[in-house]
Amino acid sequence: MVRFKNRYVLCEVVSEDPRCRQCIEDRTLGLAVRDAIARVHGDYGLACCSISFTVKYLNAYTGTVLLRCRKDSYRLLCSALPFVRSLETRAQRYPCFLNTLHVGGTIRTCQKFLIQYNRTQLLRLLQNCTNEEERQCVQKSLLNCSLTEEQSQSGDEEEDDGTE
Amino acid sequence: FLTVCFPVGYSAVALNHVIDFKEKKQEIIKPVSPSELFPSLPIVQGTSKRIKVLTRLTLVVSDPSHCNLLRSTSANIRLYDIIAVFPKTEKLFHIACTTLDVDLVCINVTEKLPFYFRRPPVNMAIDRGIYFELLYTPAIKDSTMRRYTISNAISLMQICKGKNIVISSAAERPLELRGPYDVANLGLLFGLSESEAKAAVSTNCRATMLHGETRKSACGVVYTVKKPRKVEEEETVVPACKKAKTQA
Repeated sequence: MVRFKNRYVLCEVVSEDPRCRQCIEDRTLGLAVRDAIARVHGDYGLACCSISFTVKYLNAYTGTVLLRCRKDSYRLLCSALPFVRSLETRAQRYPCFLNTLHVGGTIRTCQKFLIQYNRTQLLRLLQNCTNEEERQCVQKSLLNCSLTEEQSQSGDEEEDDGTE
Repeated sequence: FLTVCFPVGYSAVALNHVIDFKEKKQEIIKPVSPSELFPSLPIVQGTSKRIKVLTRLTLVVSDPSHCNLLRSTSANIRLYDIIAVFPKTEKLFHIACTTLDVDLVCINVTEKLPFYFRRPPVNMAIDRGIYFELLYTPAIKDSTMRRYTISNAISLMQICKGKNIVISSAAERPLELRGPYDVANLGLLFGLSESEAKAAVSTNCRATMLHGETRKSACGVVYTVKKPRKVEEEETVVPACKKAKTQA
């Protein structure tokens, strides 16, 4: 069967500055990643990886990013991700780093992983909760998330609201 | 600093203290106990155990007389969990691999190596359970350092075939840290195969910790694992021998 096989890389943007997450855009992130690939692998690497390279999904609240690239060049991409040092938006430069969570062949597998990961993150937040209202909010989100077919999208959204 | 590495997924962290012998004679100070620095250690993501914080000493040696410090019975050395040595000349590299009582041998990444690795000392180090350490933070910061890092790392790989490698960060700021999956991908750049790169981050580090514990306590470590049937068989203790055979 002739089909283009892609790899979807799930990352998380970690930064000290809380404002950094709010002004992430897919274009700036794409540029930052391409720049890192060019620095590490040169022109050849940049050309190989940008055949089918896009930022598929971006969540500004949790800093979750889903990148797509070809299966033949996903190793070049993954090995260049640690070299992303900062994100530049308009005139600001925010130092940050990308933490790779999962590499999958389809968006659906990455989504399943993301739902589980968000669940564990919610549990961790629950332990750090200081306010009683926050605690109740987080607990409600935990009880609400489920993995049924039509609700999988909304389950993702609810957890994202809980983590803000 | 450590608040950043907790969510990233590390389960043990070592705080490094560097001693350079080019300056005047320095006393080895007592390591700062981790409980003084952090009142409460957070919990590792995914498990219910707390993060372990170890203390580590790095000796920068450029002269054989500096090694006498290791043999001296200074009480403070025993308090450190992991001891690493950073040899600057070929002779010292040979001594470090064969006779010195250390856990890690640091490989310089910031400038071109003045000596080439040879196979006999490297093989002896592998037999003794000593690991070679590569740093990755200079590679993230600077482009010329990146070239030296990769060339030194690949020359090391060609000699030791990828065994006994530990990749660690000498991060001074929390943003220079990278997650374990990313560090394993960096290992691919250094010439390791995929399984070796993952091992360089996980099992080899654990073996180094056990080696350090071995050095601190008696001379051998045996880990007993409960088997469902006969438990008495596991209780036999290996007699004390200098070569630390660790069981992960």
